[in-house]
Amino acid sequence: MTNWMRDPTAETSAVKRARRVPPKSLEGLTVGLFDIGKTRTPEFLDRVEQRFKERGLKTYRCGKPTNAKVATTENLQKISSEVDVILIGLSD
Amino acid sequence: MAERLEAKHKGGTLVSRKIEYSDTSDPMEVCYQRGWTDGLPVTPPTDERVLEMLKGTRRRADEVVGKIPPYLGTCTVEKVAINAVLAGCKPEYMPVLLAALEAALEPVFTLHGVLATTYFSSPIIIVNGPIARAIGMNSGLNVLGQGNRANATIGRALNLIVQNVGGGRPGEADRSTLGAPSKYTLCFAEDESDPEWEPLSVARGFPRGVSTVTLFQGHGPEAIVDQKTRTAEGLTRSIASSLVKMGHPKLVQSARAVLVLTPEHYAIYKESGWDRKKIERALYEATIRPGREILAGADGVGEGVPASRAEEMVPKFHDDGLMVVRAGGPAGLFSAVLPGWLAGRNKLELQPVTKEIKT
Amino acid sequence: MNFDSRGIPGISVVTTGFTDAVATQSKALGFEPAVLFVPHPIQNRTPEELDKIADVIVEPALKLLTAVK
Repeated sequence: MTNWMRDPTAETSAVKRARRVPPKSLEGLTVGLFDIGKTRTPEFLDRVEQRFKERGLKTYRCGKPTNAKVATTENLQKISSEVDVILIGLSD
Repeated sequence: MAERLEAKHKGGTLVSRKIEYSDTSDPMEVCYQRGWTDGLPVTPPTDERVLEMLKGTRRRADEVVGKIPPYLGTCTVEKVAINAVLAGCKPEYMPVLLAALEAALEPVFTLHGVLATTYFSSPIIIVNGPIARAIGMNSGLNVLGQGNRANATIGRALNLIVQNVGGGRPGEADRSTLGAPSKYTLCFAEDESDPEWEPLSVARGFPRGVSTVTLFQGHGPEAIVDQKTRTAEGLTRSIASSLVKMGHPKLVQSARAVLVLTPEHYAIYKESGWDRKKIERALYEATIRPGREILAGADGVGEGVPASRAEEMVPKFHDDGLMVVRAGGPAGLFSAVLPGWLAGRNKLELQPVTKEIKT
Repeated sequence: MNFDSRGIPGISVVTTGFTDAVATQSKALGFEPAVLFVPHPIQNRTPEELDKIADVIVEPALKLLTAVK
């Protein structure tokens, strides 16, 4: 069953909202690496983090303890206060 | 049930874009995610609700009401209805909302400026005439506060239209430094229970018995207390001494205001036989001060008039700048001022607008 | 998991077997997710293979994290 509502705007923007505008450069910013708990993700992110660090980027490892559970609001709030952008992986 | 079937058939007559969502999504949350709210939850605009809302007006859904600042989005009656649903309006409020929107779009109302200003102002809606009672508006206890659906949602719908159709959002085109709770909604009806009182609509040129909206650029309220004075003359000087403090005592630029005169204060005027014209004139004159009393720089305070005006008698308001509106509960020797927008170089440039409400 | 609404631009790394699910989620949320795909499966890769897969997405990830839309 398709559900819909009627758009209250002047419809000048795309039906899909553009994602939040990213920064122009990562210099001086902290990149979060979020582990969503799937197998092998820690090693994968280790490597990505290593490569990011080689480029002089600041990184911040975070995640949820198990894939099965949803991330807590508290966790998400804490992470949001520590990072400027975030890479989330791996969905298998 | 009938509505649902009608929606299925007549859903074709609604032309606004459909925003789809899955069965696992909460439509209320989707409205938040899409940026359609003012921070408080809105009613999801389903076809049934929008079609029901459109029954509140004879006007066609595809009729263009106008282009809404700041980005001049085209607003049809259908878009008004959708935002009216968001706000929580009943269909019978549609004529008031449509009239308010048209009043706000009059060039002299300067809606773009009101939205974009760093000041506190937003469109305040004052309703006169039989429609106020017919749709259950409040003009009495807590009139400027919460609790009445018509008061709350009509004002809210207008602000949502500016946000959603016009694209006017805080932090973007809306640069208000502090804003005000009145920017959610400030809409009320004048107390017309005393047949001897000239309603605002009549003062502004409409026949008695015709329903109108008056749109005023302002914020508020701010309290005006006087629990002691017993004479009309004394009360005038007393209220005037509060009115001149509007914004800043030495500021003479913010030259319009609505004085919401409550029953117990009005009774003092009525006892002396003062009518609207006399009250407004007396207040206007009582807020004129010698320039030398409000010079800039005195005591290190920068605000004020230049020395060249020292010998002038300087009014606080434009000569048509003070509008008295009767409202409020039966007990309480406090009235209120809704200060006008700090803008407009002369009285012609920026004005309140009154329009007839057509059903 | 929506960092977007908390003011944090984000990108996701997803294995290619999962394309349909990503599209569905995007439709419901109404925004374009920034997604990078890596080859499926992941669980049984050797450490060296995993490193290679990670290396490949580093540049695209950095680009996507600063991409102007």
